[in-house]
Amino acid sequence: MSEYIGIAVTFVLAGGIAAAMVILGSTLGRKNPTSAKLAPFECGKEPFSLPMGRLAIKFYLTAILFILFDVELVFLYPWAVVYRDLGFPGLAEMGVFLGVLMVGFVYAWDNGALDWK
Amino acid sequence: MTGVGDVSRATAADLVLLVPELILVGMALAFILVARRIQRTPLAHIALGGTILAALAAALAATWVVPLESAGDGATGFGGMITMDGYARFFEVLIAASLALAALLSVRSLDGERIPRAEYHALLLLASTGMMLAVSSLDLLTLYLGVELMTLCSIVLVGIRIERPAANEAAIKYFLIASFASALLLFGISLTYGVTGATDIAAIASALRGTESNPLLLVAMGLLAAGLAFKIAAVPFHAWAPDAYQGASAPVAAFLAAGSKAAGLAALGRVCLVAFGSEARTLKVILAVLAALSIIVGSIIAISQTDMKRLLAYSSIAHAGYALLGLIAGTPEGASATMTYACFYVFMTLGAFGVVIALGERGESLDGFRGLAAQRPGTAAVMLLFLLALTGIPPTAGFVAKFGVILSVVRADHVALAVLAVICSVVSAFVYMRIAVFMYMKEPEAPAPSRFPVTVSAALAVTALVTLVGGILPSSLVPWAVSP
Repeated sequence: MSEYIGIAVTFVLAGGIAAAMVILGSTLGRKNPTSAKLAPFECGKEPFSLPMGRLAIKFYLTAILFILFDVELVFLYPWAVVYRDLGFPGLAEMGVFLGVLMVGFVYAWDNGALDWK
Repeated sequence: MTGVGDVSRATAADLVLLVPELILVGMALAFILVARRIQRTPLAHIALGGTILAALAAALAATWVVPLESAGDGATGFGGMITMDGYARFFEVLIAASLALAALLSVRSLDGERIPRAEYHALLLLASTGMMLAVSSLDLLTLYLGVELMTLCSIVLVGIRIERPAANEAAIKYFLIASFASALLLFGISLTYGVTGATDIAAIASALRGTESNPLLLVAMGLLAAGLAFKIAAVPFHAWAPDAYQGASAPVAAFLAAGSKAAGLAALGRVCLVAFGSEARTLKVILAVLAALSIIVGSIIAISQTDMKRLLAYSSIAHAGYALLGLIAGTPEGASATMTYACFYVFMTLGAFGVVIALGERGESLDGFRGLAAQRPGTAAVMLLFLLALTGIPPTAGFVAKFGVILSVVRADHVALAVLAVICSVVSAFVYMRIAVFMYMKEPEAPAPSRFPVTVSAALAVTALVTLVGGILPSSLVPWAVSP
């Protein structure tokens, strides 16, 4: 158990400092409210809005293309680590895998998924 | 790196087992590569030809290819994950047939609407690949992979008419329910792994033999059965089917009703009979409830339908129930009856959908069938044959199929289920015969339909032939329908 004591101390310290800031601020601080100050703070973003904003569909396309390469990398890394042991059959298998993925990429390219307009 | 040397690597002997799938995937990849080049040109018909060629080649491969390191028919590969036993061969040929017929039936819908052809056929091919993988897998994870490939492609096919709101709605509904079903299936697989320590179907069976019943195992079996029941649209997991079939174009609905139901049944059969063979007592109850509810709900709700695709959807729900009857007995004879049922059902349902497709817009509603016999006696006669088969009246294949599954239930001493099945057959006779009455005893309201495309006629001829010959030679399928 003793190795978890550090985590517990961190929790207590973090909670204590946060609580102290809030309590000290609300008791000692001067109150001069304006409507902007009373609004919830969320980094310049509208805190409450309906999810009806418009988003260009091309972002979805980019996201899907990203997945294509992302999945490729997921398999390429472990393959690269054991490349020497796998030898030529491993190279051939990875070639087939990349080939199939590239068919998808060629399809996307051919159909204008890479034209940003 | 240690231990890499004994990683099992795909050898030629392994790949041979996947030849049918590889053929379909190869053709699909070719279509995807040239998709844009062959759009809206006379070359577009190559896609149809290529799909049918691939389906025939895959069926031939499934029949003729002999595993290399000849352990004969039961050979397995990829570390015992894939097999090509008689059960897998049977369903692979059936799936290839439904793929070819669905492609033939798609011609009119592809001509009439702005559907990208090459993509459509590639999706059909890949969905069939998933089905074949599901029926030939000996491991729950590969089975899941196959089922998922099939479902993902089917979802896109349902929504491929992107300009129609109904198609979009159907695809979204299907997607949401299918993801839910996948979650159930995966959860079932993980609990099974928790209980038995294996995902390999044979290993699960041997781990369960001789152990005491475990409540967790009951949950696992229930979740697995529920996940696969979604795929075959058995009540109470059927709600997606009518909406998806109605929103999809008729050929896609036909493909879903035929191919994906056959694949789901095959997967369910292997899981129930092999993996959980020792738990037959509990499994029997789950399957009996699914079957009874499907038969009752499918038959009764079909009565009130006026849209042909919805009507056939409820009919397919009822037929899923009948097909499940064969699995309840848990015997090889029962499994063989289910396989026969699946086979004949695929042809008669594709036939009925084929007539709907042949009539175009008119065929989509029940009223469109008014007076068809006076205008197109041949078409009406073929439709009558399919309706008789769906009802289960001799001398059609539908009778043979239904007789087989009901007999297997009676032999397993579930007479009440058999009585229920027969009563609901009578109820469904009302549904099917009403269409016949519309065709033969009402005055036509719409102008006579135009000539059918020759491909649709060909598909109708094949399905009608199988439906008829299957009824006349009832034991023709017996040597092929070998249980897993």
